[in-house]
Amino acid sequence: MEVTVLVQAVYKAFEILEKGKNSEKAREEARELLYTSAKFTSETKSLTEKQEARALLLSAKQPRLALRNFTLTFFILFAFWILLSGRFDYFHLTLGGICSVLVAYLSHDLLFFNIRLGDFRTRARRFLQAGPWFLGQIFSANLHVAYLALSPKMPIDPQIIRFKTKLESDISWVGLANSITLTPGTITVDIREGEFFVHALDRKVAYDLNTGEMEDKIAHVIMEADHVYIQDVLDVASIFGALK
Amino acid sequence: MISITDDIIIRTVSRVLVPFIQIYALYVIMHGHYSPGGGFQGGVILGASFILYLITHGLKDAKKRISELKAGLFSSFGLLIYSGIGLLCLILGSNYLDYGRLSTILRVIPAQARSLGILGVEIGVGIAVMAVMFSIFFDISTGGVLPEDEEGLGVRDE
Amino acid sequence: MSNFLLFLGIGLFTLVFLCLYRGIFGPGILNRIAAISAIGTKTLVILLIMGFIYNRVDMFIDISMVYALLNFIGTITAAKYLEKEGEV
Repeated sequence: MEVTVLVQAVYKAFEILEKGKNSEKAREEARELLYTSAKFTSETKSLTEKQEARALLLSAKQPRLALRNFTLTFFILFAFWILLSGRFDYFHLTLGGICSVLVAYLSHDLLFFNIRLGDFRTRARRFLQAGPWFLGQIFSANLHVAYLALSPKMPIDPQIIRFKTKLESDISWVGLANSITLTPGTITVDIREGEFFVHALDRKVAYDLNTGEMEDKIAHVIMEADHVYIQDVLDVASIFGALK
Repeated sequence: MISITDDIIIRTVSRVLVPFIQIYALYVIMHGHYSPGGGFQGGVILGASFILYLITHGLKDAKKRISELKAGLFSSFGLLIYSGIGLLCLILGSNYLDYGRLSTILRVIPAQARSLGILGVEIGVGIAVMAVMFSIFFDISTGGVLPEDEEGLGVRDE
Repeated sequence: MSNFLLFLGIGLFTLVFLCLYRGIFGPGILNRIAAISAIGTKTLVILLIMGFIYNRVDMFIDISMVYALLNFIGTITAAKYLEKEGEV
């Protein structure tokens, strides 16, 4: 998460420089922004402060957030109603509409709590593209665990792994935790302060988890911390080094 | 005093599930004619959704969503719908809860008026059951004692 | 097809007794809670199989969804009660 804050700070600094047309005042402002962000990421330890700073820096100025949440919730709930009741006459459809409006009014801030929706179509398309990869993972992990369970001396090596993740919001953590639990061989035990504790059955399964491929796929779908790698950290570090 | 869960997975998953449970409960109420369900069953599921929210998100957030006052009002409101339809049939000159007479108001054939009357009664029962379930769970779990820094209904522990 | 489903149902039903053994003799309460939750899952599938055998699946799907829901809420409540040692 710290890398994303720093990368965003660098983008914003460039924006300030562009708007101020490289004047002395703009340069001063950009330098101050980079200093404060560097100090902030190296000093704060608690998770909530980091999340608040990230929200502030990304400056989500999305107008009419409540209305957008309400309409999206209404459509999803109405689709679910049609899925449940297969009757398409006017009476039941009207009843479904009224019920969806009622439930969406009561709980519209529940489904999309702090999601920056971004580009909905891109996210849906990436979700459909990442689906078969997940199914393939589950299939191959199933075969591996079946081999482990059925062989006579059962070569398991249970261990608990602990890793920090680069994802930022609640929903992506829960999505990653559920994907890890759904893949046979690994179970998410706890998430504390942004660190995952995963119980893995075998060294090979643990190794597959540690490569970070699943994390990257989820980050790609949710469109946050997308393709943030060591290279970005090196780039950002050089910019901050030149400041001194 | 029910506190919020520390576990982020349970919190997030319950938060996402609650609207779907509520829509399922309303589906069960409305389709009482065609599949197993009806008023009481749908009301229980609707109450269960609020109880799930109460357990995972703690007392304060649940009270912001549906306070004790609203639960009491909703239970009376459900009862009002039920007996209101019955009295309406009585006023129109027939027995109590004889829905056939509603056809004079609604301008449909008596058989359809009976169907609509039963649907209305089921909705009333569902709302009342939901409110009473939530209210009973609330009272039993807090024991009637609220934290001192909140004002509201309840007995204060001196 | 109906025979295959019937044998499947009977097989699952015998597996329920394995879980029930854990539910009765499990040392400690956590084993018992996990066993009851697993029995709930198997009951759900047995209900669906019964729906297929009687050829009225749409009715039994509603019932099994309600049971899944109540199983979930019950397990979460029991777990929270045990974690906080007496308070929910």
